[in-house]
Amino acid sequence: MDLRARLTRAALARPAVLLATSPGATRERLAVEAELGRRGWPSAAGPASADLLVFAGVPLPLRDDDWAERVWTAVPAPKARVTVTDAEHAAHTLDHGHRTLLTPAAHPAERHETATAAAPDHGPHDSQGSHGGMDHAHHGRPPGTVAGLPLAERAEDRDGLRLDRLHVPLGPALPDWPAGLVLRLELQGDVVRRAEVDPMPTPAASRPAFWSEPWLKALAGEPGTSGEAARRRCAAHLDSLGRFLGVAGWSDAATRARRARDRTLGDAHGEELRPLVHPLVRRVRKSRTLRWLTAGVGELPGGPVAGDAHSRLIGWLDGIEYALDAIGDRTPLADHPLIGPRGRVDDTEAPASRTLLAALPALLAGAEFACARLVVASLDPDLDELAARRAPDGRTHG
Amino acid sequence: MEAAAWEPVALLLASVVAGVLLLHLLGAAARTVREPLSTGPFSGGLEPREHPVSRFHARWYPVTMVFLAFDMEMLFMYPWARVVPEVGVPAVVEMFLFLGVLLAGVGYAWREGAFRWT
Amino acid sequence: MAEPAPPWAALVLPLALALVATALATADARSTGPGREVLRLLVQQRRITRAADVPLVRLATTLLPVAAVLAAAVLPLGFRPVSDLPDGIVWFNAMEALAWAAVWLAGWGPNSTLSLIGGYRFLAQGLAYELPHMLAITTAALGAQSLRVGAVADAQAGLWFAVWMPAAFGIYLLSALAMAFWGPFDQPVGRDTAGGAAAELSGVDRLVFLGGRRLLLVVAAAFSVPLFLGGGHGPLLPGWAWTLIKTAAVLGLLLWVRRRVPTVRTERYMELSWVVLTPLAVAQALVVAVVVLKK
Repeated sequence: MDLRARLTRAALARPAVLLATSPGATRERLAVEAELGRRGWPSAAGPASADLLVFAGVPLPLRDDDWAERVWTAVPAPKARVTVTDAEHAAHTLDHGHRTLLTPAAHPAERHETATAAAPDHGPHDSQGSHGGMDHAHHGRPPGTVAGLPLAERAEDRDGLRLDRLHVPLGPALPDWPAGLVLRLELQGDVVRRAEVDPMPTPAASRPAFWSEPWLKALAGEPGTSGEAARRRCAAHLDSLGRFLGVAGWSDAATRARRARDRTLGDAHGEELRPLVHPLVRRVRKSRTLRWLTAGVGELPGGPVAGDAHSRLIGWLDGIEYALDAIGDRTPLADHPLIGPRGRVDDTEAPASRTLLAALPALLAGAEFACARLVVASLDPDLDELAARRAPDGRTHG
Repeated sequence: MEAAAWEPVALLLASVVAGVLLLHLLGAAARTVREPLSTGPFSGGLEPREHPVSRFHARWYPVTMVFLAFDMEMLFMYPWARVVPEVGVPAVVEMFLFLGVLLAGVGYAWREGAFRWT
Repeated sequence: MAEPAPPWAALVLPLALALVATALATADARSTGPGREVLRLLVQQRRITRAADVPLVRLATTLLPVAAVLAAAVLPLGFRPVSDLPDGIVWFNAMEALAWAAVWLAGWGPNSTLSLIGGYRFLAQGLAYELPHMLAITTAALGAQSLRVGAVADAQAGLWFAVWMPAAFGIYLLSALAMAFWGPFDQPVGRDTAGGAAAELSGVDRLVFLGGRRLLLVVAAAFSVPLFLGGGHGPLLPGWAWTLIKTAAVLGLLLWVRRRVPTVRTERYMELSWVVLTPLAVAQALVVAVVVLKK
């Protein structure tokens, strides 16, 4: 028994972390990601490979469906979970989670917790692990279900065939996925037949959306320099770039982009950042493979993000280089047009990300799964913007 | 000779299967929680409406047909590779005529868009 | 003619392969240390998704290392394979194709959308890489006029096949990556599907599956040495040392490629493979056939 505890301690010296971010919790996510990079804790792609589940921001249920609880029950023991609600305490919270993970006494308690997890709203195929078969009281179930779920039924497909159609919700706890985005997909094989955007409820934000903060502040009449805004824009594009490269399966470049982003958000000078950013930008821009793989994916005929996934990527690269040169600019931001990383920042009720979300269903219909992920990553809507709009007094204090 | 050559292969199969079994035993002894975790499929935290196992849209179906033709061709090519110098020029001419016919098929399939999908 | 290895070689070979795979994982900057990762998966709870086909998953995960190690039976360390089968190249090809079944079953078994997508991705990838791959290894066999791996290595005592059949060698390296779904060909276990075919595997199942994948990569890379890089032939050092050095060099190259190239989606690679690589491989085979006739 003691040996097993010691083995577990040795095994979990660097736990694999699954990070699930709620809308409005970008600051917390960035703090956690930076801290994970410092510690060298690997990031898990899903609950099966995770040890430590980290929620950035308090996860809210979606239509009474407690997805956070469900992700938690899907993580195999030994496991621990923490919620980071304050960016400043990210390291401390991770330490706490790690300690819980290493405490042998914690595991039986967790199992108990698992067993009492809330059942989902629709039916007896619960997350408790008691669904061995049909012998439970499945009252009100239509016939033809197995373990509480029906099999897929056929429907017309885009190629004129009749094929099984699956209804699969995608998100919100996927890796390299916009925080809080949920897509309701109709899949036939790995082809998206239809997609509906079902964004998570956003808590009333007490602070302005992180990526458009400098422009929102300028809008509210607070002082701020163009240099600060350029720094934020540079980091925002590097963040999007990291996510896109992660989805495109170029993990080496994605890691570099995230490292550069963290340094940019720190107080590094433009001169310090250049050797981090320029080689990365040059390599991504010159990659023929990446162009071959992303050209023609998710093509939009017009609008602020016209073009395909690759041209949007090049747009970010241009934005990064341009913003990097402007980091030292001390002129007041209010003198310039207020254009944030995702588009115009103004008082109207339509933040730029709403336009991006609206473009999604049409682009995703008929796309193959990998392309669908690339499309989402290339538009990279920021759901924080929607949250901030719901709190009219929120944008003024930071 | 023939049978003797296969004995070590059988031994190899036994040893790798034993290795995998050993790992499972080690795992059974070492894991913190014995009973397996029963859970739903993962797609981000929310549940699908149906069982995911379904008739999949295999859009590369035409490719499998072309592949099958070439796969049969490989059956001839393996023994052919051993006898080229013995048989001489006719062996090479015949094999590459055959390959040429198949490549013409590939060209046709390409023109029909069998290798492209999105 | 290679002399047969002693019987205990069959017991040592899996361990030796595992050792190389561990060394590879250590050299791989992204991983956290293979020993710790193995331990982590050993203490982890097993996981069964709803209405999963558990025996199928178990079979799939076991099949991958079995395929890799059995393929290695004909792999000469120096000049001595575990068994120098007269049709060694066909045997290697057959074993490597078992991975198709393994990955697809691993994707199908857990009854999960994302792992299902991952499993089918590997089938499509197989259709794309397999044909140029078979033509490439047949070309090497043609150069030596033998399907015996030892004979192919011996035919390169003078000039390596990689030198005068570069296209076949390049195609072989691409397919080595693809068959081990590694590096730019890792779409079947891609992060965009939260781990694809391996998305629902945990504990020992995951260890055996992903470990088998590393073994497969090592074996595929090591097989390029007798096929194209002169096997154990080389100056000064003994044959086994040359085999190890060349294998390490190939593995280093494959690791480097993964860092430099994003994941290649099969829908794009399929066209390249059939329209460019297949005719290229046939042309290479023709050149080699003509050279063999002239000899």
